[in-house]
Amino acid sequence: MATRHHWIVRVTHWVNAVALTIMVTSGLRIFNAYPAFARKGQSFCCYPFAGKAIPAWLTFGGWLAGARHWHFAAMWVLVINGLIYLGFIYLHGEWRDLVPRRGQLRDAWEMTRFYLFVRPDHPLQGKHNALQRGAYFTLPIFAALAVISGIAIWKPVELGWLTALLGGYVWARYWHFLAMLAIVVLSFVHIFMVFAVDPYSLRSITTGGYNEAKSPEARNARPLWWKRPAVEHAAAPSAPEIE
Amino acid sequence: MSMNRRRFFALSGASVTAAFLAACDSQGPDRAQSLLALAERKNESAGRFLFRHTSIDRVSRGAVLAGSAFPAYYVSDNVPVWDPASRGPWTLEVGGLVDRPLRLSLDDVLRMPRTTQRVNHFCVEGWNAVADWTGTRLSELAKLAGVRSTAQYVDFASFDDGYHESWDLASAMHPQTLIAYGMDGRMLGPDHGAPARVHSPVKLGYKNTKYLVRVTFMAERNGGYWSDQGYEWYGGT
Repeated sequence: MATRHHWIVRVTHWVNAVALTIMVTSGLRIFNAYPAFARKGQSFCCYPFAGKAIPAWLTFGGWLAGARHWHFAAMWVLVINGLIYLGFIYLHGEWRDLVPRRGQLRDAWEMTRFYLFVRPDHPLQGKHNALQRGAYFTLPIFAALAVISGIAIWKPVELGWLTALLGGYVWARYWHFLAMLAIVVLSFVHIFMVFAVDPYSLRSITTGGYNEAKSPEARNARPLWWKRPAVEHAAAPSAPEIE
Repeated sequence: MSMNRRRFFALSGASVTAAFLAACDSQGPDRAQSLLALAERKNESAGRFLFRHTSIDRVSRGAVLAGSAFPAYYVSDNVPVWDPASRGPWTLEVGGLVDRPLRLSLDDVLRMPRTTQRVNHFCVEGWNAVADWTGTRLSELAKLAGVRSTAQYVDFASFDDGYHESWDLASAMHPQTLIAYGMDGRMLGPDHGAPARVHSPVKLGYKNTKYLVRVTFMAERNGGYWSDQGYEWYGGT
């Protein structure tokens, strides 16, 4: 059985999962100290939930200082781990499975048609289908936006040029929040799709092993539309004839 | 009990969820605290590395003065007000590793070189507020007192129930770090630290001691009111 994901990809995936969870939950605890964006004495156009705290069960860190310590520690894990991943897929060639290629939009449309039962057969794909490629390519972009806007909030004076580039402190906080939301939405869709269409990929991202015969493409599987892999029944040995 | 693969996955899923829910809103495992302390030290180094006296906070165009919406905090039960009848006239004591320890009246401070600046106030909670601050640069005070080369830290102490915060000397000497006695063109009110306070955009709000009475130059840091309770000591922006 082929190894689907290099061990560096597998390790960085799970380190990222933990670091991202800590960053999001501790970030929401920090946000709860001032769950709004407006500069004091001004209003902010684009956040309808100002003043409403995030439910405590979605937060981590216990209190503002605790959450800040987790946030400012896990950020190093997230960034270093992310750089290892990006550096690896760049040097090792895996980026070719992820960057948009010619016909990406058409392929994504065909995938959507298949999922909506308009198209009967699963489109041909390489390692990932077009929708996956889109998601896995977009996620690091949102992550980069989250990191850059995060640095701009962390050092709004020392790196004031960066904060100004993002529209000032208030907007930098807003981009940071939106980038977080985008990452959370993509992650939840990702996790849903793992269980809904390709649970066998859990194994490939953990131990690396993947049976291509069980891929959604091979099973013609849609989300929540379970298709078991075809089992080849060996013909039972027939009894010898009586002479 | 037999454990097939399906059951194994269900159990692992359930235990991960349980661990996650147990962690919610907690401060995390105790064993992690030393790692967090290490990260805080590294982040202080990063902050000191990035620090420049030439990094100047500029308020974005269109920013409005917070005015009465500028939040006011103190740790006493009531607004701390200096009462000359019981405490005598307010003075600012400058001491520690200096050649000329000072005891300045408010008039003395008012006679020092004056700076007015429109800057941000960055609160640890995440909000920012803009005000015009008037005062004298801390570097002027340091010059007047003759700070010795052994001084690496400064402590700012208040008459607000023992509140104080210590700073690294470099941040204190930043041209936007003021001993402020005016706000938005008026003398500082009791809500915002009258008669004088520290104000600087280069440190988070809690480092900016209000109700200032004593500036002490030191060779070692001595923590602070919020720093001792777990907030980052450096608190640089």
